[in-house]
Amino acid sequence: MKLSLPYSHNRRYLTGIDWAIGTLDYVTRQATGVGNLSQVVLELEGSLSPDRLRGVLAQISDRFPLIHGRVARDRLNLAPYWKIPRSRANADIPLKVVDLPADANLAAAELFVRHVNTPLRGETQHLRFLLVRLGDGKSRLGLVFDHKLLDAYGAEAFLQLIDETWHGRLETIAAGVNVTEAAHLDRWTMRLARGRTINRFRLELSPRDVIAPVLPPRCRSRAYRFVHATLSPDQADRFEQLAGEEAGVPILLPSAIARSIVAMRPALAGAAWPGTQYLVAVSVDARPADQKWQHLFFNHLSFLAFSAPLESAGSVEQLLPVLSRQFVQQMRDGVPSALQEASMLMRICPYGLGSRLARIPFKGRMCSFYFACLRNSAFTAETFLGLGAVDLIHTPRVPPPPGVGICLTSFRGQIKVVLSYLEGVLDDRSAQQVMRRLKSRLI
Amino acid sequence: MTEPLTIEAIQQRLCEEIQTLLSLKSGSITPETSLQSLGMDSLRLVSLLIVIEKVFGISLIKTGLTRQSLASVRSLAAAIHAGLHP
Repeated sequence: MKLSLPYSHNRRYLTGIDWAIGTLDYVTRQATGVGNLSQVVLELEGSLSPDRLRGVLAQISDRFPLIHGRVARDRLNLAPYWKIPRSRANADIPLKVVDLPADANLAAAELFVRHVNTPLRGETQHLRFLLVRLGDGKSRLGLVFDHKLLDAYGAEAFLQLIDETWHGRLETIAAGVNVTEAAHLDRWTMRLARGRTINRFRLELSPRDVIAPVLPPRCRSRAYRFVHATLSPDQADRFEQLAGEEAGVPILLPSAIARSIVAMRPALAGAAWPGTQYLVAVSVDARPADQKWQHLFFNHLSFLAFSAPLESAGSVEQLLPVLSRQFVQQMRDGVPSALQEASMLMRICPYGLGSRLARIPFKGRMCSFYFACLRNSAFTAETFLGLGAVDLIHTPRVPPPPGVGICLTSFRGQIKVVLSYLEGVLDDRSAQQVMRRLKSRLI
Repeated sequence: MTEPLTIEAIQQRLCEEIQTLLSLKSGSITPETSLQSLGMDSLRLVSLLIVIEKVFGISLIKTGLTRQSLASVRSLAAAIHAGLHP
């Protein structure tokens, strides 16, 4: 017998991936006192009016009260869901404004680092803005987002939604945004079969001794820090061409991961649990190509994992065939979709239990580092609230363990690279060296 | 004996398979459609190559593929045709 609950306007059932992201939020909050937050910073030409932004945010809040929702659990079937308030009541999306002199770029950068390392308030705050206006007439707007509400691509799309709202297109777009999700309490046999696929994959892949960073003591008093690099459109194009020549087909992912392993290796050598294998957990965007608005909220991701023996980790040439083979095999086995289906089975677990179960296979080490590679930016507007939009960067807090990750995003033909690390997992000097090594191998 | 696939037949089938893969509406892809405009990242590209392997019996992952071959559905169909009829 099929048991399917009807759709509901005040609850949106979480998918298995939403549940997994919620578990990572729990893990990150337990370790560092702040949840699984990330930030996307938009650089603008001109001085942005806070009132203009507040007005638009109020319209979006009214149209999407789910922004102020929270996770709850169905008492009947134990499925977790997002409880959507009927209206936003008095809830606002907070916006803080700071004015700095023209030459205060470093101070501005530090403000954004502090912004993403500051916890959101309560269970129902999931977004927060920081606007820094510099004396030279430029502005930077940072959106801190709770990964339970938005993934990175969704956060970029949310910035675009703000601009579209200012142009009077909120209702047109909102009509196509999906805010409901069925409980998915059917097709258990299929999901169990997918679970077997995932278990087989995990057993084949999981090395017994993953090289992984040792988390520093007193994580709760530590913040995440970030190192950025940009590849110009020409450099990005050359790298994509090179990746294609190396792999035989123009696929970027194995080449980028191979270079990341080579760049990270010396930094992990002295500050990690010893082992014989690197294990890289990779998050991939799984939403269909033309569904930017439909899948604006919540998480539309899946995961892949790549392992590389220690002896190959110094050479891109040796790593590439190993990683390419693993990539193609995981796609043949349908690992990303199997993970989406199989994770539905786990949703009954509270986050605390889920976090303990997730650590079992790798003896708590999880992976050597996280890696993410976003497709072309969802923020495609030339302007934002009437000002020229000139740059977009991400500052993600990577859940510990391992508390370190590399993320590649793409903006107007540029590849933006960010290394994110919990203080103490890497020190600032070795993080800079990782980025130098990585950039020199990407261009 | 089965008739060899024409390049037009390959294009037609390729359009259908890409529509299914990317959950796009029927008729939304033509031979001129640029694959880059469809947001073809590494994940989707490998998925497409695996579909091509199943449907046409040719492994472009093994034989190789240039960026020019991925410019449009038409150029990809030409690469498949060339692989099937060397």
